[in-house]
Amino acid sequence: MFRLAVKMTVARTGRLILTSLAVILGTAFLSGTFVFRDTINQTFDRLFSDVFRDVNAYVRSTTFLELDFGGEQRSATPVSVLEAVRGVEGVTSATGDIQAFARVIGKDGKPLGSEGNGPPTFGGIASSDSAGLWSVTEGRLPSGPNELLLDKATADNGDFVVEDIVRVVAVRGVREFTLVGVASYGDISSPGGATFALFDQPTASEFLLEPGFVDAILIEGDDSVSDEVLAQRIDAALPADLKLETLTGAEITAEVQGQIKDVLNIFSTFLIIFSYIALGIGSFVIYNVFSITAAQRLRENALLRAIGASRRQVSRALLIESTAMGVIGSLIGFVAGIGLSQLLSALLKATGFEVPTQGLAISSSAFINTFVAGVVVTVLAAWLPARRAGRVPPLAALRDTALDTAGNITRRVIIGLVILALGGIGLASSMRDAPIQILGLGVLGVFAGILVLGPAIARPIALTIGIPVAKLRGVSGAMARENAARNPKRTSRTAAPVLLGVALVTAFTALAASIRSEIRDTFSEAFAGDIALTVDSQGFGGIPLTITDQIARLEGVAQATGVGFTSVRISDPNDPSDSQAAAPNASQRGVFVQTINPDTIDGLFDIGVTEGDLASLGRDGIFVDAQRATDKGWKVGTRLQITRIDGVIIDAEVRGLVSGDTSFANYVASREMFADSPSPIFDAFVYIKVAQGAVVSDVQARVAAVSSDTGIGTLQSKEEFIDDQSASINQILALIYGLLGLSIIIAIVGIVITLLLSVLERRREIGLLRAVGMTRAQVRTTVRWESVITSLLGAVSGVVLGVVIGIVVVAALSDEGDIAFRLPVQETMWIVVISFILGVIAAVYPAWRATRVNIVEAIAST
Amino acid sequence: MTTLPPPTLASAHATHAAHAKGATKIYGTGDSEVHALEDVDVAFERGKFTAIMGPSGSGKSTLMHCIAGLDSLTKGSVFIGDTDLSKLSDKALTQLRREKVGFIFQAFNLIPTLSAQENILLPLTLGRNKGDQAWIDRVVDTINLRDRLDHRPSELSGGQQQRVAIARAMASRPEIIFADEPTGNLDSKTGSEVLSFMRRAVTDLGQTIVMVTHDAVAASYADRIVFLADGKIAGEMQSPTAQKVLDYLKHLGE
Repeated sequence: MFRLAVKMTVARTGRLILTSLAVILGTAFLSGTFVFRDTINQTFDRLFSDVFRDVNAYVRSTTFLELDFGGEQRSATPVSVLEAVRGVEGVTSATGDIQAFARVIGKDGKPLGSEGNGPPTFGGIASSDSAGLWSVTEGRLPSGPNELLLDKATADNGDFVVEDIVRVVAVRGVREFTLVGVASYGDISSPGGATFALFDQPTASEFLLEPGFVDAILIEGDDSVSDEVLAQRIDAALPADLKLETLTGAEITAEVQGQIKDVLNIFSTFLIIFSYIALGIGSFVIYNVFSITAAQRLRENALLRAIGASRRQVSRALLIESTAMGVIGSLIGFVAGIGLSQLLSALLKATGFEVPTQGLAISSSAFINTFVAGVVVTVLAAWLPARRAGRVPPLAALRDTALDTAGNITRRVIIGLVILALGGIGLASSMRDAPIQILGLGVLGVFAGILVLGPAIARPIALTIGIPVAKLRGVSGAMARENAARNPKRTSRTAAPVLLGVALVTAFTALAASIRSEIRDTFSEAFAGDIALTVDSQGFGGIPLTITDQIARLEGVAQATGVGFTSVRISDPNDPSDSQAAAPNASQRGVFVQTINPDTIDGLFDIGVTEGDLASLGRDGIFVDAQRATDKGWKVGTRLQITRIDGVIIDAEVRGLVSGDTSFANYVASREMFADSPSPIFDAFVYIKVAQGAVVSDVQARVAAVSSDTGIGTLQSKEEFIDDQSASINQILALIYGLLGLSIIIAIVGIVITLLLSVLERRREIGLLRAVGMTRAQVRTTVRWESVITSLLGAVSGVVLGVVIGIVVVAALSDEGDIAFRLPVQETMWIVVISFILGVIAAVYPAWRATRVNIVEAIAST
Repeated sequence: MTTLPPPTLASAHATHAAHAKGATKIYGTGDSEVHALEDVDVAFERGKFTAIMGPSGSGKSTLMHCIAGLDSLTKGSVFIGDTDLSKLSDKALTQLRREKVGFIFQAFNLIPTLSAQENILLPLTLGRNKGDQAWIDRVVDTINLRDRLDHRPSELSGGQQQRVAIARAMASRPEIIFADEPTGNLDSKTGSEVLSFMRRAVTDLGQTIVMVTHDAVAASYADRIVFLADGKIAGEMQSPTAQKVLDYLKHLGE
């Protein structure tokens, strides 16, 4: 029987491929993201093994702060350690390494490298020692305070040649250097599209970090002993009081590779989650396809039952077919995904987020993941239809009608309403501060309830949506309306993927619109200035404090203040459960602290102080988000220990509370706290108020002169700044739209497949209609409008559901009702319009097939 | 009929491939109640070709479906050999259909994706049974289809398709074969060809066939005809000819 089932499957290859489309698409997205991730990981693996090829040992500080997204910030190492290391037996050379913020300014006065989400801009050390990471390809190494080396990609992009004067901005301000050479990093001109400005060690330390300090020390051995032994020897020679550690070359390579993977994996995990959502939505399409084909093959299955096939044999034949579909679909999908991963790279490149890819990495785990997910989803989706097929009465072989059994409507409505009600209770309680899991379960419940109810409500809704169609398109429209409603189970299953996709899109849009307008309101209240200079540096680099102070002194500027970010570790010495206090040097997660200048911020930018006076901040004061303080049991006067990146511990005091609406972090400190740190802080925003009598545009021009001089930041008017703050949500939204787009595509493919199968099923009927005088155009119209009604059925119910979920999510996310729900009217209308258009597009091929029906054959065939 | 003693179960087993006792089938309830069969007693002799005739709605198809185990009776009992079908589970019924019963339908008889040979062997394959090769060879020769075995149903004519269906029904050498208007979709020439093959299956190979038809010519190929009207046995005829049948039907209509 197995052999026969396979044969029956193979005999239907054409239809098999068609129905596999949903599997192919779903698995292609999945495999695409896997291959993309593996390729990037492999590229970085190779890159760093190559770069650290000659590094046998690596010395660095043991003090560091873990940042969000897997990054870390480590304190600096004194240059004096270099001498100690060079004296160790077995060491050939030792060189300092710095990776700090530095930005090269192009000949046109604009900074090189993209600002914002693009790759970082680095400054570092160029050294003749072979342990150094760079190799000079042109010119020579820099020496002295006025020379620099650029990476090849940056030199090419900036059109710089040796002897050119290059301006660079770093923590100490803007300086000009003479380009003396060009270098490559390993074998590639620039890793990850980042830009590099390289100096000799004393210049790099002074300009990029702090005089006399480097980030780490790279050591090459003479190969007389193993790396492990060498590392032990170096470790023994290090001054004990400096809290340093020595790693072997292999260890540091693995660590750097791991770090970059951690960062990339957050991104690819995001992609993979949405690919699984797409595959999940695809499973509805697969389920629908199997239900339809099983119904269409009712007589064949009944015949099998009549001549002695058991229920299980009939079910099994269908399961074998679904397995074949899963296997073939997943294989094709996997291959298609490889192409898709290339497309993804190109797409990211086009948006400025260039990811280096060398070759293609196709790992067995990517294959296994895709394959297993594809096959399992397909077989599971086919499970119910297969069981139903087995239950077909043998007598059906002798009857004419092939019906998709209607099932028990009353039972369906009751079960659906119960699930829906449970989901609704979950949603309602999550609006009253129930945990977020309840919200998730509530959303799931509502979705499940709607899906169960679908067949019962699809008919009236489809008929309602179809009224204008029937009015406008006459007989064809009326028939389209009846066709959409005549098999409500099928229609609802076809519309379900559209509903899910549209509901998610609508909910996200509503949430984004609400947050966006909330941000707008908050910032227009908080920002009392006229001009803002902002840099979107994602925690790495920014506006040097010297520039901020320079702007404050400009003519026509009444007031200017800078706000920046850095990370610290905060522990409560009175809390024994606070593990941070128990082990100050262990690997711990840092927290973001917003740095301000309390002398200049008053009256210019309101960070929402609810208690205390910013003037009292000083070097050892901190303001805490009110909610965070309540959670931790802190109040004004609580003593806290703050550990800076360089390991210096400050005994601090909570001197006030902030509301958290306009502060970008849970903690606020004065820039004074970090004045003596070797790891510099930057401003991310400079807020400027124009003096009375001065012309805003004049002042703006002067600030622009300073900022373009340094090539940093974007100058914005108050309106632009507020728009920009609220627009940051748009980037995330765009990404989510793009990813949910995958699901919508699959939903549309589902409509195409269903229509095609319906057209095949109604061949006789179409033939008959053509015979009595229906024109091809009328046939096309009928199919097209049926598609549109189905698509709109999903879209309209999806929008309604999405708005409900949006209202609940907004309410659940806002603590004291401080975010008001806003209906994104325009976007919602666009969603409906797009669904309409997609419905028309989905019908093109099925409608064409319908017009090709041969009248004589269709009527004669049984 | 004559003075034979009333049949015991053992003797029924010996001479009858299938029989029904008090077979009653009621569709619907209350006012819409329809008696498709009313207390029908009938038996089908082993090794004979029996036709069931009657006007539309006489219950002839229902009778066949119930005896074949495709449908269930409201009252009464049906036996294939000495097996009481009303006592069988779905699984056992499936087993019975596979081994003891063969079917020939009016149309949609074959699985379109399988070759003629595979269609013929399907009941055996479903039961993981290799079958009796010598028997199958004889069957294939009898229906004269050896050169078409590798063809798909779509590549065969209607008559050829129906011959494949006859071969499939015979492949497991069943106790009894049921045919539901087997020539209904065929022209008279191919129809008579198919009927001759069925006749030979009974005469030469000793099979038992019960055929539902309303065509007097088709019925004349049978050894015996059972007439049904309004869900009751209206009479029967041995060694019929087409003319005799037509006369009888005319008489029945009056």
